Amino acid sequence: MNPNIAPMLGMYVHIPWCPTRCIYCDFNTYVEGNPDLKAGYQAALLREIRESGSSLKRPPLNTIFFGGGTPTTLDPTQLIKLVDTVSAAFNLQADAEITTEANPGTLSLSYLRELRQGGINRLSMGVQSFSDYELKFLSRLHNSREARKAVENARAAGFENVSLDLIFNLPQQTLEQWLSNLYEAIKLEPDHLSIYSLIVEPGTPLHRQVAQGNVPQPDDDVAADMYAATIDTLAQAGYMQYEISNWAKSKGEPDWETPALASAHNLIYWRNQSYLGIGAGAFGTVNGKRWANVKRPQSYMGRVGTGGRLGLARDEATFETLTPQTAMAEHMMLGLRLVREGVNSQAFEARFGVALEAQYAEAVAYGLERNLTEWIDSPTGPRLRLTRQGRFLANQVSVQFVE
Amino acid sequence: MDQTHIRNFCIIAHIDHGKSTLADRMLQRTGTISEREMQEQFLDGMDLEREKGVTIKASAVRMAYTANDGQAYQLNLIDTPGHVDFTYEVSRALAACEGAILVVDATQGIQAQTLANLYLALDYDLEIIPVVNKVDLASARPDEVAQEIEDLIGLDAADVLPVSAKTGVGVDALLEKLVERVPSPKGDPTAPPRALIFDSHYDAYKGVIAYIRVVDGKLNKKDDLYLMATKKIVEPLEVGIFQPGMKPINQVNTGEVGYVATGLKTIRDVRVGDTLTLQSFVEEYGTDKIKRLPGYEPIKPMVFAGFFPTESDDYTLLKDALEKLQLNDASLIYEPETSQALGFGFRVGFLGLFHMEIIQERLEREYDLDLLATAPSVEYEIMRKDGEVIIIDNPADLPDPNHIDTIAEPWMHISIYSPADYIGPIMEITTRRRGEYIKMEYLDETRVLMEYLIPLSEMIVDYYDQLKSVTRGYASLDYRFDNYRPGDLVKLDVLVNGEPVDALSIIVHREQSYPRGQKLVSKLKDVIPRQMFVVPIQAAVGKKVISRANVKAMRKDVLAKCYGGDITRKRKLLEKQKKGKKRMKMVGSVEIPQEAFMTVLSLGDD
Ligand SMILES: Nc1nc2c(ncn2[C@@H]2O[C@H](COP(=O)(O)OP(=O)(O)O)[C@@H](O)[C@H]2O)c(=O)[nH]1
Ligand code: SF4
Ligand SMILES: [Mg+2]
Repeated sequence: MNPNIAPMLGMYVHIPWCPTRCIYCDFNTYVEGNPDLKAGYQAALLREIRESGSSLKRPPLNTIFFGGGTPTTLDPTQLIKLVDTVSAAFNLQADAEITTEANPGTLSLSYLRELRQGGINRLSMGVQSFSDYELKFLSRLHNSREARKAVENARAAGFENVSLDLIFNLPQQTLEQWLSNLYEAIKLEPDHLSIYSLIVEPGTPLHRQVAQGNVPQPDDDVAADMYAATIDTLAQAGYMQYEISNWAKSKGEPDWETPALASAHNLIYWRNQSYLGIGAGAFGTVNGKRWANVKRPQSYMGRVGTGGRLGLARDEATFETLTPQTAMAEHMMLGLRLVREGVNSQAFEARFGVALEAQYAEAVAYGLERNLTEWIDSPTGPRLRLTRQGRFLANQVSVQFVE
Repeated sequence: MDQTHIRNFCIIAHIDHGKSTLADRMLQRTGTISEREMQEQFLDGMDLEREKGVTIKASAVRMAYTANDGQAYQLNLIDTPGHVDFTYEVSRALAACEGAILVVDATQGIQAQTLANLYLALDYDLEIIPVVNKVDLASARPDEVAQEIEDLIGLDAADVLPVSAKTGVGVDALLEKLVERVPSPKGDPTAPPRALIFDSHYDAYKGVIAYIRVVDGKLNKKDDLYLMATKKIVEPLEVGIFQPGMKPINQVNTGEVGYVATGLKTIRDVRVGDTLTLQSFVEEYGTDKIKRLPGYEPIKPMVFAGFFPTESDDYTLLKDALEKLQLNDASLIYEPETSQALGFGFRVGFLGLFHMEIIQERLEREYDLDLLATAPSVEYEIMRKDGEVIIIDNPADLPDPNHIDTIAEPWMHISIYSPADYIGPIMEITTRRRGEYIKMEYLDETRVLMEYLIPLSEMIVDYYDQLKSVTRGYASLDYRFDNYRPGDLVKLDVLVNGEPVDALSIIVHREQSYPRGQKLVSKLKDVIPRQMFVVPIQAAVGKKVISRANVKAMRKDVLAKCYGGDITRKRKLLEKQKKGKKRMKMVGSVEIPQEAFMTVLSLGDD
């Protein structure tokens, strides 16, 4: 078994609508309002899916991921129509992982049942916090009670793979407050957890508040303490950290292996495999080419309306042909995020025609000397991965590999 | 042209009082350049000058003028550098003239450089023609300023010409006055030739072009010439005049101004102030028989700094760029310097801080170099206990204090012209920099002249900027070297993670070592980014640590979520981080950003 070279293809579908905008959000999303716009966008997505599938001659497809934005602003029938269209245009594999991001405030049992019956088999819920005070601060629309209810409904609707998103290091949040969030999450027994520290992105309302001094800048040292406590707490609760920010319930996999409940779609990114980006601003990387679609939904719809074939809504400014140098650097940057499986040196050599140790002698030594990376053995050969300390300072390691 | 019809003059003015504009107008009036060719401020050739509004390079233009008496005159306008850093160059240009137009801004009145340049001009017995400029402005007070000229300089107020260099008002009258009042050159046309070099520039085809004023005799392009100070023989490629472009002619006559294309490849062979004479004459009579023109001084840099390329690969580029700049700037000197912290670079000497700024800007702009300049230093005279005297211009070279008897530093005599409202703040900032009060004079009810002695080392730590800021830009400053004086000076070292950083050492007065050390440490603490371990920063005099602080260890540095496959963005962020790292300098295992080396520059401003 050699995960790094298994040819996998994923598809990301972007739904750029949200009921309101969260204060920290810098995603390509818009407050929904105009139903005609949404309908037109839906039609454009369907068309891009069909064109892409036929351009690529209906290739095997392993994952679909509906992200946003908030995909659950769509009717279940719309989401299912998208899934059906994908499976007509692509050779959607029987065991394909089909995820949608979901907003806990909008998830009734009947809604979830329709999704599940329509083939969506994984839910990624943007819970973020179990503190109503914090949820309000982030301008999320749901409360903690609704979040719990949503998980319950998901189970009742038959979802066997439920992931929760949480954010830590909110301004003024204490370690205890964060941990109580984490305990609440664990109690719900999710199959998977994605946990990120709050980033104050330029251009967001949060950024303005911090700049004006109304909200304190999140403290890096506190973030480090929280991250450390998260790693320990989740390990005790039976979750395996398989990526810097991602954990999955353990099924007793060996140390060097990514757990079975890991997000198959996100693994495609981290393993530097191919994925298509459908919808406004979505990124795709296929056969060493990368591009994003035009960002604004209206422009996207315009482009799809006139174009044909794969990349019909491509924003030319984003198009790049990855050089071997760049591809290798990205391979390291992404692969090192996988803290269990790391980067397989044999797979690296098989893919790029040069030995990892030769290509990156200095960069590898840098991490090893500082105890930020380590070599481990596995049945498929030695792998370079981050140490526990390295997970805190991943950039310091990755930066050694880029130009 | 017969000698009696030649007028050699310059324009002296405080910066921005309108020297360049007036020169333009005269060129235009005399038809030396046509309207069409008229480009604002013709004499300021370089972009940088234009932006800074300061003339760095002197020029000389010959104008033909038919006066009201119906006779044709040759007017030679010699432009002078507009900054006190170039006082010597100014003095040589003045020595080539018989008259000077003194320009005073009618809205501002007399300023520091007005007087500084005037005194220089008087030293050379120049006929002074005072004008008040900018009379077209509503805020002009020509009569008051004329009175000020009478009171301060002793020139008759009634004699002061009102002029607008902008509109041209009064320029004709000024030209007439030049003809009338400026004496014609005195030299002996039959004597052996002697010419004063008052400027030069480098030309890729013709070598160094010497700007000359013929004092005695004539310079003919067929004659071999001889440079008396540098002892170089010159076979001229051509001789000529500026009109305003270079125009070859056969001969430059007694009293005239022009140029000699020397064919020499290094500008340092053609020194400003040197005397050019005839090679055959030297052969015949020996150099003792020919009197050198007075006033020659060797180049004397006052301020020194290390220039290091931010990326060490650029060392050769920096070397080439300095070589190129030196082609045109004889006062620029440099030698290789190696710093533990900054690697390979150059120790560069300058006439003053302004000169340094110009060179740095030109290197960065014209040669596209990213530079790191260390804090400027002066030249110290160290008397060792064993009696040996050594000169250092780099604090890192200071010998062990146990071997030092005394350290002497250069002191300057400064004159500050300011509205009286700011006397208090001026005294404060000057005294804090060890300034010693000499005297204060009221120029009128509202304006004062203050004189101080101050160590040059204190002046080059942003004193001028401070002065401008506490006087809201109203004060002007003039300075000249006074003497070397011993002082209680010590070397303040900075240790990062226990290792001394040579490029951060400074020499300070003992009393200031404590506050400056503290300030340096606290600034460094802010600019040095967290590393993967705690980094102690200390300031020390000898073995004694006088201040310390820690940069906390970096504990978390992880990119956020890779959203929707936008891997390019993540990679770009890392690439940016990498670039930032490359620009850092390694001291031991600590990465120190460029700004850290600049912190020393702003230590005076508390
Ligand atoms: N209104 C007005 N402005 C002038 C006059 N002469 C010069 N200036 C302006 O004053 C500024 C400084 O002039 P400049 O000739 O560069 O001064 P320099 O530094 O002495 O060479 C420029 O903006 C000129 O346009 C004048 O007679 N009237
Ligand atoms: S729900 Fe997500 S995409 Fe929508 S505004 Fe909030 S953070 Fe942004
Ligand atoms: Mg000028």
